[in-house]
Amino acid sequence: MSSDPAPGGEDHADGDATPVPVPLWRRDFPIQSAGEEDVTRREFTRYLVLGAGALAVGNVGLAVWTQLRSINQGEPRAIVAAATVPIGGTYLFRYPSEDDPAILLRLDAEQIVAFSQKCTHLGCVVFFQEQENRWHCPCHEGNFVAESGAVISGPPVRPLGKINIEVRSDGMIWALGRPA
Amino acid sequence: MRTPVRQHSSSAVTLYVIVLVAFQVFLITVAVEAFETGTKSLAWATAITSVVLVGGSALFLRYLRP
Repeated sequence: MSSDPAPGGEDHADGDATPVPVPLWRRDFPIQSAGEEDVTRREFTRYLVLGAGALAVGNVGLAVWTQLRSINQGEPRAIVAAATVPIGGTYLFRYPSEDDPAILLRLDAEQIVAFSQKCTHLGCVVFFQEQENRWHCPCHEGNFVAESGAVISGPPVRPLGKINIEVRSDGMIWALGRPA
Repeated sequence: MRTPVRQHSSSAVTLYVIVLVAFQVFLITVAVEAFETGTKSLAWATAITSVVLVGGSALFLRYLRP
């Protein structure tokens, strides 16, 4: 601060006797602070590139997370007693985490299937249409086969995520948390 | 007073990098959507595009005068 030019005065370049006129704004606002230098275009662009790099790292991280994430990776756990689900009836639960809605359907006395309730198009919640015997997504009219979750029609191109389950000796339906 | 041609080009490079960063923001929204729906192919395509754009931005940075 001691090298500040006096307000209204003139500055001199080093080794040059030619006076450098002090800008008008400096005379009106004779206060300096640390780091007030202008940001150059290169610095500005460098910050932008660094920001873009951070976003790219986020993108790669999301891709890796998407790759590693599987619906059959949760802890094995009991869902519901098989006897409480009637034939043609459904049961809502959450699996593998509390943020993942899932649905179970009893097709007949022996066959029970469970799927992620997220439509593979844009993640809306699917529900069972008993008359058509299919899973239906009301957002964009996507339809899936009740037994397998395969796409019947609509914008989805991938089947519903199938949750591997089994009915154990105690009559409870268990999500296995691993490939069947 | 005319602006030197070199200064014009460096401003254009900065503007171009700004556009690339805006595109990166768009790509992160696509990646989030791919994550939500579990679309692995889209997630990887987005990640690769994003990395290529960053590489391009870094290359443009080299053309800027100090």
